[in-house]
Amino acid sequence: MTADRWVAAALFTVAALVPAVVRDSFILDSLILILLWGALSSAWNVAGGYAGQVSLGHAAFFGVGAYAAALTSARYHHSPWLGLLVGVVLSLVAGGAIGFLSNRLKGPYFALSTIAFAEVLKIVASRWRGFTSGSEGVPVPFRPGFWTLGLGHVQWVYLALVVAILYYLLQVYLERSRIGYQLAGVREDEDAAEALGIDSRRRKVQAVMLSAALTSVCGSLWAQYVGFVDPIHVFSIDLSVRFALNTIIGGIGTALGPFLGSILITSLETYLRATFSGMKAGFGGIYLIIYGVVLILVVRWAPEGLTGIAARFRVRRADAPA
Amino acid sequence: MLQLEGVTKRFGGLTAVRNVTLDVQAGELLGIIGPNGAGKTTLFNVISGFYRPEEGRIRFDGRDVTGLSAHAIARLGLTRTFQIVKPFGNLSVSDNVMIGALTRLSSIREARAEAERVIALCGLGPHAHARAKALPIALRKRLEVARALATRPRLLLLDEVMAGLNPSELAGIIELIRRVHDEGVTLIVIEHIMAAMMRLAQRIVMLHHGEKLAEGAPGEITRDRRVIDAYLGEEFNLAEA
Repeated sequence: MTADRWVAAALFTVAALVPAVVRDSFILDSLILILLWGALSSAWNVAGGYAGQVSLGHAAFFGVGAYAAALTSARYHHSPWLGLLVGVVLSLVAGGAIGFLSNRLKGPYFALSTIAFAEVLKIVASRWRGFTSGSEGVPVPFRPGFWTLGLGHVQWVYLALVVAILYYLLQVYLERSRIGYQLAGVREDEDAAEALGIDSRRRKVQAVMLSAALTSVCGSLWAQYVGFVDPIHVFSIDLSVRFALNTIIGGIGTALGPFLGSILITSLETYLRATFSGMKAGFGGIYLIIYGVVLILVVRWAPEGLTGIAARFRVRRADAPA
Repeated sequence: MLQLEGVTKRFGGLTAVRNVTLDVQAGELLGIIGPNGAGKTTLFNVISGFYRPEEGRIRFDGRDVTGLSAHAIARLGLTRTFQIVKPFGNLSVSDNVMIGALTRLSSIREARAEAERVIALCGLGPHAHARAKALPIALRKRLEVARALATRPRLLLLDEVMAGLNPSELAGIIELIRRVHDEGVTLIVIEHIMAAMMRLAQRIVMLHHGEKLAEGAPGEITRDRRVIDAYLGEEFNLAEA
């Protein structure tokens, strides 16, 4: 096993042990968010990292999942699990459309079109008052039980942990399977991949669809956990950027990267907000400045992400004379 | 093995390949020469499915492949290298070649073994774990060949794999091309280096302004008046004599 795998195993083990020791709901809440953000960033990584289709509109799939679960339970009184499935189906369709676009639009143009897509969904969700309650949002009723996803903090930790581990394993699979190697080929050079017999368009669409579905699942879970869905947040570009940022800071195209990024950024943000929010109104935004500076430093000193630091260390050790 | 009938490719008002008819036999080593802009690479792009010809038919192994996508043609056993090399830059040499091998093999282990074999054949053994983009140009050209070979093609199009190499690198790649040909792969080779072409090709086709200007054995083609006027120049014959 490589160092990355050991780190991942250690992190997931620690996450599994935390609820046994800590009962503080603030810490458990942070842990749930770290795991969910890590899983969401992993979902983004499938398209943005492994297939090289950098999207800045993944909030679209998150929002679809969130609304699907919230409306299914709040409006139709069915299980949010059913809503989760509905969200997956809708996201597969939307992901197919976006993936198809990626065959026409490359790089920044693709990224721009994904932003536009998420913005359109935001407007639809804000204006379609009869169905989505518009910008007022949808409160999700809390009904205790697994089937209704009315869970306590500890149960949420374990649910998020299971999702996080599954997404991690999926990425590991992508690193060592035929489809994963072929995606890497498509990411590096589409023409060369085609010349080797790889249907690059089909592979890209598949990757974006899978990424969309995985994002949607987490969107549904998030809606049930937080208990409230509104269009301005769930379809926001902040969210899309967050998925990309976690992954890039952690290490794009690596299985561990999205989780490392999520740990750093989520805990940094939580800590800074908690520390500085009590200050006078004039200083309310200072945490954003510190947050920004830290991001700049990481990008300056670890341009390949946090997993890149470990890789560089390994190379240096290998180069050193015995 | 490969038949072209009246193949024409236009870009707007420009006709890059005009009415080219060509028949390549199995086991042959065909050379294509011509001045820059003669349409050599465009012809490769048309044959390998990267461009769709406006007119004409292309048959591979008796099967009409006109308008098929590049990946479908590659899976039939016809692939190519790129003049401007296109390595999977951030992947290792070994992974590059393995991705080629995965076209025929679905198991990673078998593909890895096949990649090792091809890497050894192409003399890339010592560099198997290097990142592709870190290789010097001569080795990147070899990598192009290795990756294409790993797909087990029956017909391979080599687009200027010798350009930019020094004499000793040149001797190495000529040796490699011979070895590939000996393994039973039919080859079409685009090259500007006439000395190499004369030694390798069994037959040479000369393209000029997108048209087939001349065709024949290497000895004949270099004495052809049209070829001398359009491409080789008088100096060439003097040098050869």
